[in-house]
Amino acid sequence: MHNTFKEGIIRLGKVFPMVLVLLISIICWLPKAVQGQDTLAGEAEGVVETVDSLVEETAEAAAEITENQPAEAYARGGYSKQDLRRGERLFKGLVPFGSGAHSCASCHYTSRTDTLNWNPSAFDLALAWHKDPEYRIQQKMNNPTGMRMMTDHLDMTVTLEEERQLEAYYEAILEEGPGELRAYPVNSIIFWGLGVLMLLAVVDLLITKKVRFKAIHVLILIVGLVVHMQYAVAESRNLGRTQGYAPDQPIKFSHLVHAGENAIDCNYCHTVNQFSPSSGIPSNNTCLNCHGVIREGTRSGRFEINKIHQAEESGKPIEWLRIHDLPDHTFYSHAQHVNAGGLECLECHGTVEEMHVLYQHADLSMGWCLTCHRDNDADFVGNPYFGIYKQLHQDIKDGKIDAVKAAQIGGEDCMKCHY
Amino acid sequence: MEKKYWKSLKEVQRAEHLQADELPADHQAKSMIDILADDDNSKSSSRRDFLKWCGISFFSATVLSACENPVKKAIPYLNQPEELIPGKASWYASTYLRGNDYCPVLVKNRDGRPIKIEGNTLSSITKGGTSARVQASVLSLYDTGARYKQAMRNGEGLLWEEADADVVKKLGEITAQGGRMALVTPTLLSPVTRALIDEFKAAHPSLELVTWDAVSYAGIRKAHEQLFGQPIIPDYRFDNAELIVGFGCDFLGTWLSPVEFARRYAKKRRVSRDKPEMSQHIQFEGMLSLTGANADERVPVKPSEELKILISLYNKLAGLAGQSPAMEVSPAYDVDALAGQLMEHRGRALVVSGSPQKEVQMLVAAINQLSGAYGNTIDTSTPLMTGMSDDDAFETLLSDMSQGKVGAVMFYQTNPVYQYPDTEGIVNAIKNTGLSLSFATTRDETAEVCQYILPDHHYLESWGDAEFKAGHYSLMQPLIHPLFKTRQFQDSLLTWLGREADFHSYLKNWWQKNLLPQQNVYPDPTNFWVKTLQAGVLEVPARGMANLLPNPGALGDIMAALREQIQGADLEYVTYPSLSMGDGHDANNPWLQELPDPVTSVCWDNFSAVSPATAASLGLVEGDMIRINDKVEVPVLIQPGLAAGTLAIALGYGRTQGGISADGRGGNAFLLSPKRSFHGLVSSWTKVGSGHLFARTQTHFSMEGRAIVRESTLDKYKNDPAAGNELREYHLKHHNTLYPDPEFPGHHWALMVDLNACTGCSTCVVACQSENNTPVIGKDEVRRRRIMHWMRIDRYYTGDADNPGVVFQPLMCQHCDHAPCENVCPVAATTHSQEGINQITYNRCVGTKYCINNCPYKVRRFNWYEYATKEQFNTHTSTDLGRMVLNPDVTVRERGVVEKCSFCVQRIQEAKLKAKMERRTLKDGEVMPACVQACPSSALVFGDLNDPESKVSQLIKDSRNYHLLEELHTLPSVGYLTKIRNPRS
Repeated sequence: MHNTFKEGIIRLGKVFPMVLVLLISIICWLPKAVQGQDTLAGEAEGVVETVDSLVEETAEAAAEITENQPAEAYARGGYSKQDLRRGERLFKGLVPFGSGAHSCASCHYTSRTDTLNWNPSAFDLALAWHKDPEYRIQQKMNNPTGMRMMTDHLDMTVTLEEERQLEAYYEAILEEGPGELRAYPVNSIIFWGLGVLMLLAVVDLLITKKVRFKAIHVLILIVGLVVHMQYAVAESRNLGRTQGYAPDQPIKFSHLVHAGENAIDCNYCHTVNQFSPSSGIPSNNTCLNCHGVIREGTRSGRFEINKIHQAEESGKPIEWLRIHDLPDHTFYSHAQHVNAGGLECLECHGTVEEMHVLYQHADLSMGWCLTCHRDNDADFVGNPYFGIYKQLHQDIKDGKIDAVKAAQIGGEDCMKCHY
Repeated sequence: MEKKYWKSLKEVQRAEHLQADELPADHQAKSMIDILADDDNSKSSSRRDFLKWCGISFFSATVLSACENPVKKAIPYLNQPEELIPGKASWYASTYLRGNDYCPVLVKNRDGRPIKIEGNTLSSITKGGTSARVQASVLSLYDTGARYKQAMRNGEGLLWEEADADVVKKLGEITAQGGRMALVTPTLLSPVTRALIDEFKAAHPSLELVTWDAVSYAGIRKAHEQLFGQPIIPDYRFDNAELIVGFGCDFLGTWLSPVEFARRYAKKRRVSRDKPEMSQHIQFEGMLSLTGANADERVPVKPSEELKILISLYNKLAGLAGQSPAMEVSPAYDVDALAGQLMEHRGRALVVSGSPQKEVQMLVAAINQLSGAYGNTIDTSTPLMTGMSDDDAFETLLSDMSQGKVGAVMFYQTNPVYQYPDTEGIVNAIKNTGLSLSFATTRDETAEVCQYILPDHHYLESWGDAEFKAGHYSLMQPLIHPLFKTRQFQDSLLTWLGREADFHSYLKNWWQKNLLPQQNVYPDPTNFWVKTLQAGVLEVPARGMANLLPNPGALGDIMAALREQIQGADLEYVTYPSLSMGDGHDANNPWLQELPDPVTSVCWDNFSAVSPATAASLGLVEGDMIRINDKVEVPVLIQPGLAAGTLAIALGYGRTQGGISADGRGGNAFLLSPKRSFHGLVSSWTKVGSGHLFARTQTHFSMEGRAIVRESTLDKYKNDPAAGNELREYHLKHHNTLYPDPEFPGHHWALMVDLNACTGCSTCVVACQSENNTPVIGKDEVRRRRIMHWMRIDRYYTGDADNPGVVFQPLMCQHCDHAPCENVCPVAATTHSQEGINQITYNRCVGTKYCINNCPYKVRRFNWYEYATKEQFNTHTSTDLGRMVLNPDVTVRERGVVEKCSFCVQRIQEAKLKAKMERRTLKDGEVMPACVQACPSSALVFGDLNDPESKVSQLIKDSRNYHLLEELHTLPSVGYLTKIRNPRS
């Protein structure tokens, strides 16, 4: 027995690199598997990062202000555990408010979701409270402003004590962050299950030797490695591609509301797409053209629109998360495609006017670009620039060809896009 | 055609171990696979190693696939400026100005940051030309290492308000006590700054303005004053001169107004069937300068001998005109023929000298007077405003300062601690002054010894103006918010005058008051200002200059001085401002440091060049360190073409406080000439070391004596336009290929190089580097033959090693229609475009370097390391701020990929898009690669061969046209026009 164990250890030592590889790959895959395939983990990190920096900055600002304030009945900080416990229960509707039974959490979600919720989340609220030392929950609740808030918060009042408890809960939320998205358990169970099975198989094969038929070990290892490889291949292929990417933006901006329901032309906000490689992300003052007047949204109330005004006041532009992102070595020009090529926005971006949350419609792979260049007709006859292609013009005249594809006039040249 | 061309001395001497001795010691690096091997001693790799790495590759692929896409942000403006289109560049006119260096420029501004300098075509002085230093100046803006970032007192930072309070208090005290103060500046070409200083002087009557240039042209001004009673520097019209005689004058490289002179010179040097005529250029010089290299006949003589020739030339001409000779000299060179030629070309000849000495310039002016140059090849109606330096006043100031007689001294754009020959003396003088302050923008030796450093803006952050030539004004405007807490010099003066620090308004008011009445295009002041600012230049009729009447007695007074100067010695030295460094203020610019000197192809160093014969007689070999006159230590470089007994040393090197790229490079040649004559006698020299290693780009690319440069003479050209190009016909007849003929249905881009117009000034090299994000790699890597420039200037010698003929040949990717590189790429990373461009796709390249091996022109470069971002190679773009200079329209290449000239495809694409959007055809000349745009002499022409009307289509049919290595049938898209020289028969 002793010898077998020793032998087993030695054998294990020999396959140690392999086990190590297995372990490390599992560790690397851990966050991915937990998160599920359809989301990009980075997006959550991105938000947390922003929040962290915001919290730090605002904490300093708040500290300064509180120092200067004279002692009053209302003061932030110094919450007890009792406060926190009651605050959380209040927010989640487990204990009634003085004004009756309400659950804040039924509208203001306490964790991140992948469905659209127009109401600010609990974290958003906590952040807004934290950023503004003048922000009083009691005042907001007892004297609601704006149609949306008035209807939804009808008959809700908060006492000074309840306010303090809610504040304690806000502070706790700020520390925790916006929460993680629900995981897709199927992927992770398969991945982990196979991983454990393979590990067991290796251990049994070399040390314990409980299962006689070695074919079983081999089978488990082969199936496990194949499935793991499949994951790896599928993910490798999509490396750098982000089709369907729909991150949570800092403002719950809906293209459906703006471009769809209100039928605003794309060019109104994305002003420079006719002249520049970039289509241009609207600057804050563009938003304010309308939202200087429209201070309240039908669905989102005042909370989201207020962020535009906050940005204006603080002088810090809104940091949108970039969705359509070509690699650095690829040069794409909106002016070329929209202006000279006459393409419609939707041909690449999909039906944006139907998207509450904007997502990446095309995969933006090189194959996708080239397919379009090969299949679509260029505005060849209409543009005098192409007069230099004498032979092609002759061919059209002679009836040899009907139209000219982009690929025929250099649309397949590498240095069209890579330089 | 039978001329024998050679590229280096070693080649001509047929050294057996060609170049092998030059390789760095650690060049024999281990191969990658050897490094992986288990055993350190074993050099070979085994199957096990291979399997190991296979496993690791598999493993890393697994890990990599688990990576997540980074979250990127897209941050718009809060309030987008109306005129700004994100992602699109805008151009603003401004002016490069630094002492006597001047160039009207257009600055490309992308999303609020200047990234590229180009010449302003509206200026009649430069007509869109630039120089290497102008091109590189944008990099100095982002010099995080060396720029002063805030006001400082004795090395400690302080607020501007505190500094102002200190300075105002101290200046007030000095004024109250009647003490003296001095402001030391270089020649101030800015009329507004002069006006402001006058106001400042009115408030501080004891202020003395001392003008002091490190490289001075004041000799010319003083010579004209003494000889003609007019203190002017006339305009030299090389475009009217049929005979040019230069005496140690590098007018194509650095002298006076090289950009303008190169254009004028090239205009007269171009030949064509319609104009089979060109100027003749004879150059006497000790060193081998760029200008000398372009001359038809070059006479290498020692500086003292050069002066003797000049005197005897004057004697001869004076004799012919019935005047008395200056003094008897007997040079080894017989000037009779030259004098005869000058008289023959009366009114069409021009003699120039690079000497800073008044006496020499008087002789030159007298010779020009005798040969009828004034009014013809020398234009006195628009004199140059440069060369105001007053050395005597500066000397007086220094001696007064050392005696403690001066209360305050201020230095603006001058660095005398580095540039003045007596370093110790000047440092003591500054220390003995009550208040010393410097307005230096970047670190320099003078600022470091001053009490206060009140940093001025970089010129791309400043308002200003310039009047380089009488009546030729231009404006300078800021292109970016100040990067650091600096303040414009003029704003400092305004603050100390108790006025609002608003030099912008001051400038505007001055222009509207003084210049508006001088023109009649824009009567409205606002319109005048806006339109002129947009154009960048304003040219008003110059103040007329009276006819110059010589003062015959004047020459007699200078004989004593001349007699002293013609005293020669066995060994003499010449110092010269180099093409890239100038007077040294740009020494911390790595683009300039890495720009190879066109003649010696050395970069990152200066040296004492010496002719092979002299080196042999002195027992010196290349790389020996010598100490000259007990002042300067420089390595020896053996350079054919130098005069016997002459050492030539470039100025601008040997900085001690210039910054990381500048410090400790070479020796400071300013220390050599106590009288700042920039030549003199070598009284002593000692060998102090040996084995200095030069970074030379010369030995990278040997062309082994093939007919790369084709050359002929004017006489032959007149009879046969294809003279020197006979091979072309032979090769055309024998062209044969297995490959299908390439087709270009749309454009077919081509570049033509006129070897007669190219002076080798290397502006294109820096322009290309700036446009295409070409990395700097540092001296060590250059020594490993890894220089990354996409464009280079090849230099070949002809004839004997003592006085070789020199030809320059700009070389970039030839964009062959049958490109040898394309066939061998295993991953199709390099392919041919429909428009004739040899494309390289960086993201596809796996770095096999097969293409490099197969390129007969050796124009492909390999990124051995992460050059752009690693600090050990690149001191500028490795920082966040430095990266702002990168052109966002060109990929920054990473390690392991090949790169090369793309014909600036990003510019082609931009121009095509513009034409498409405007629904019109592309005009000839609309697309200009960076090199073509930058060229001061328009030696490069770019265009579409499919357009029969285009300039390139015309030029490619010229019988002078040939292609490099056309026997290989690579069908290059770059053509060269044979070099025609005009030697004396």
